[in-house]
Amino acid sequence: MRVNIGTIKSNGDGFNRIASIAENTKALLWDSVELDFSNCSFFEANMAAPLYTVIARLRAELNDVSASNLPADIERILKKNHFLTLFNMETLPDTNQTTLPFKIFKLTAGEQFSDYLDLYMNGKGIPQMSAALTKRFRQSLFEIFQNAASHSKSISGIFVCGQFYPQKHRLDFTIADAGIGIRENVRRYTKNPRISSCNAINWALTEGHTTKTGNQPGGLGLKLIKDFIRMNEGKLQIVSRFGYYEFTADSNSFVKMDHDFPGTSVNIEINTNDTNSYCLKSELSNNDIF
Amino acid sequence: MSNRILIKVADIIGSPLCISAEDGQKVFDKIEPLLKSGKQVTISFERVSMLISLFLNVAIGQLYGSFSEEEVRSLVQVEGLSGDDLDLLKRVVDNAKKYYTNPKGYDTAWEAEGEEDEQ
Repeated sequence: MRVNIGTIKSNGDGFNRIASIAENTKALLWDSVELDFSNCSFFEANMAAPLYTVIARLRAELNDVSASNLPADIERILKKNHFLTLFNMETLPDTNQTTLPFKIFKLTAGEQFSDYLDLYMNGKGIPQMSAALTKRFRQSLFEIFQNAASHSKSISGIFVCGQFYPQKHRLDFTIADAGIGIRENVRRYTKNPRISSCNAINWALTEGHTTKTGNQPGGLGLKLIKDFIRMNEGKLQIVSRFGYYEFTADSNSFVKMDHDFPGTSVNIEINTNDTNSYCLKSELSNNDIF
Repeated sequence: MSNRILIKVADIIGSPLCISAEDGQKVFDKIEPLLKSGKQVTISFERVSMLISLFLNVAIGQLYGSFSEEEVRSLVQVEGLSGDDLDLLKRVVDNAKKYYTNPKGYDTAWEAEGEEDEQ
């Protein structure tokens, strides 16, 4: 089967396009799937992570997945970020060092994810960001990574990929999984089998809400990320099954997608020129906590 | 010599990264029996390079499920946290207090909303 990839940007259309590819190939088993890039005029490199949710599921069903007709500039980008090694193609050196390459982590590999960030974010072409910004960004990525590890039940791991856009002073980082999705977790937890994907994302974003079982508090991670993104004037996108959520300092929108995204993908876009200190309650002392 | 027992988080979890619920549980499992026997503890975050809410929910937030606010306040201290990490811990503690005030209500506060519009 030949599948037209089309143009994939880090927006609602891009995620909907990936979800559409997933739907069209859902029933395939022991088949051949050719991902045809001939109509792809643009592919934002961080979107390799959500695209891999489709490939992971196809490969789990023993389909042979290949990539073809890559336009030269897209091939260059996807070789630089190591995505095409998944199709036995070589990598290209990332001379501008603006890439956080595509990588698959096991659910328990939080420490390796830390090593990955050390390797690709320190002293490379990724911009010199303030220490406070770097710390909040990393904390946000760990919160997302561990959310995926705790809740996704993904059997194929967690897929990550990032790209720095120097002209825009923006860094996008995407963490995706081919797991059961937020909707399924929230439906099970709330015992409400009718909750929609958008409402499930909204539920998960509410401070204090967590689908973690056991008598433990939780549900702060996404709220903290939103607080950070608001101050940073960045962007947060959460896609899970039919739900698409986008948050910026001045917008907050849920859109039901036309197609079913096979898992969950969280993209954080940060403004790398930010000089905020991120210490909101610096007057707090050790005695004020409990 | 101080009567307070020092709990070095990085030593217990064997890492400077406080990022997983499992490691948070290891720390909680050290603290809880000490508090049960009325011991005062100081939780040290010395050498910790990364701290997230998920870890703190389990390591410290969970204490409010076993002990009253007064007990935690009188028995537990922390050290070695920077200003923004103190802010994070404060958020976790406030969230935990709220959660354990009415855990069931907190969990089910979201009434059935939305309808089946998907496959």
